[in-house]
Amino acid sequence: MQAPAIAGTAQPKLARGVRLQTDSKTGNSVLLFPEGVLELNETAQDIVSRCDGRTMGEIVRTLAEEYDVDPKMLGADVRETLGDLLRRKLIELV
Amino acid sequence: MTAPRPYALLAEITYKCPLHCPYCSNPTQTGNDQELTTDEWTRVIREAAALGVLQVGFSGGEPLARRDLPDLVRAAREANLYTNLITSAVGLDNERLGALRNAGLDSVQLSFQSDKTDLADEIAGARAHQHKLDAAAKIRAAGIPLSLNFVIHRRNIDRLAQMIALAESLQAERVELANVQFYGWAFLNRAALLPTGEQVVRAREIATAAKARLAGKIDIFYVLPDYYEKRPKPCLSGWGQRYVTVNPIGDVLPCPTASSAIPDLRFENVRERDLDWIWRESESFNRFRGTEWMPEPCQSCPQREIDFGGCRCQAALLTGNAANTDPVCELSPNRASVDAVLRDLNSSTPKAFGADWIYRMNPKTLPGLV
Repeated sequence: MQAPAIAGTAQPKLARGVRLQTDSKTGNSVLLFPEGVLELNETAQDIVSRCDGRTMGEIVRTLAEEYDVDPKMLGADVRETLGDLLRRKLIELV
Repeated sequence: MTAPRPYALLAEITYKCPLHCPYCSNPTQTGNDQELTTDEWTRVIREAAALGVLQVGFSGGEPLARRDLPDLVRAAREANLYTNLITSAVGLDNERLGALRNAGLDSVQLSFQSDKTDLADEIAGARAHQHKLDAAAKIRAAGIPLSLNFVIHRRNIDRLAQMIALAESLQAERVELANVQFYGWAFLNRAALLPTGEQVVRAREIATAAKARLAGKIDIFYVLPDYYEKRPKPCLSGWGQRYVTVNPIGDVLPCPTASSAIPDLRFENVRERDLDWIWRESESFNRFRGTEWMPEPCQSCPQREIDFGGCRCQAALLTGNAANTDPVCELSPNRASVDAVLRDLNSSTPKAFGADWIYRMNPKTLPGLV
C-alpha cells in the first residue's frame, strides 16, 4: 500500500495510544502501542523524537543541519520513515 | 541456553468472570489457592519490568472483578510498562473508567460475542451485550484507544460481516477476529464450536475483503482456524522467547493454557521464586526453548524457526505428549487425529446449533473479591 504524501507543512505527531520510550535493556528508543513494540533505529529515533508539533519542513531542516547533509536528500529519508509509521498508524498528521 | 528477554507479561489477575462463554481458554479445574495480593502483583510487575518486559496485559477471568485494578495499572505505569486492559467491560462504569484512566491505562481490548444482542447474550450466558455497547462509547469518550475482540466459532461465524460492521460503527482502531482455539473450556466444547469447512472458506473471503476495504482505518487481525490449516501457528513466537504469563494464584507460565494442557510440567510460583530465576533457569521455561527439544519432522524442517513446531499445548491435548510436533502440521505423524475431527463434522449435518455446549463456570473455591 502506498503511503499518502506528507506535505512540508504537515505536523506529524504520535498517534493516540502510542508512547515513545527508552528501552532500559538496550538504551534504544521504542514505540509502544496496543499489542505491539517497535524498536527504532537511530535515524528513526531522531525523527520521531522531533514529532512534537514541528512541521515536516522544520524537522527536515533541523536534522539536515545536525547531520550536515543536503536537506533534499534527507527529506526523502524522513518522508519514507514517517510514511511507514503513518501506514502503521503510529503517527498521525495534524 | 541463554534466555532471551521477554517483551510482554500477561497478568491473569483473577479467574472470576461474570460471563460464561463456552470457548473460554481458562482451565476447567482450578485449585483453591489464594489469589495474589495487590503487593504481590506489584512486585511481579516490577520484576517483569526489570527482566525487560515493556507491555502488560491485565486479563483473567474478568480483571475488573478485582477492585485493586487501578492500583495495579498505576504500578505498571510507574514501572514504565504499556498497559492494556483485556475485558468484557462488565463492571466498567464511568467512575471505574475514570480511575483507570487516572492510573494511566493506555488501551482497552473489549470482547464481543456477536453483533446481535440475543445471540451475544446466549453465547456469553449472561446479559452483557447492551452494556458492552455502552462501555465502548464510554471508552471512546475517555479518549482511550479501543480494540475489539470477537472469538469466532460455528455459532457466530456466519455473522462475520455484521461483526466487522459493528466494529466500524463503534470506531474501534483495531479488531481481532479470532477463530476459537481449542484449550480449556473450548477444548471441552470443541464439537459444538468447530466451524464447518464451508463456513471457514466464506469467513476467510469476508475477512480478506474487509481488511482491504478498511486499510488505514481499522487494523483487522484475522486469527486462522488452525485445524483447517496445513502448517501450525508460530505459537508464542517460540516457547519462553517473548511472553510470560502469571496466573491468578502466581504460577508462572510460558503460555496461558500450559498449566491445564501440560499436566506433567511443573510450574514455578512467584511466591517461591523471583521472576528472573523462573524465566531464565526453570525447567518449565527451558523445556521447549529453542530447537534442541524438537523431534522429527521438526528437527530437520526448514520451517522450524518460523513456526517453532507449533503449539505445545495442542500437541499435549491431541497426542498426549507436549514434545510432539503440533498435529495440525501436515507433516506430523498425528495429523490424522485432526483430520478425523474435521471429517466427523463435515461429513454429516452438524447437530443443532447451540445448546450442546457446557457454559464456563467460575471456580467455586476461590476466595471473595479483593
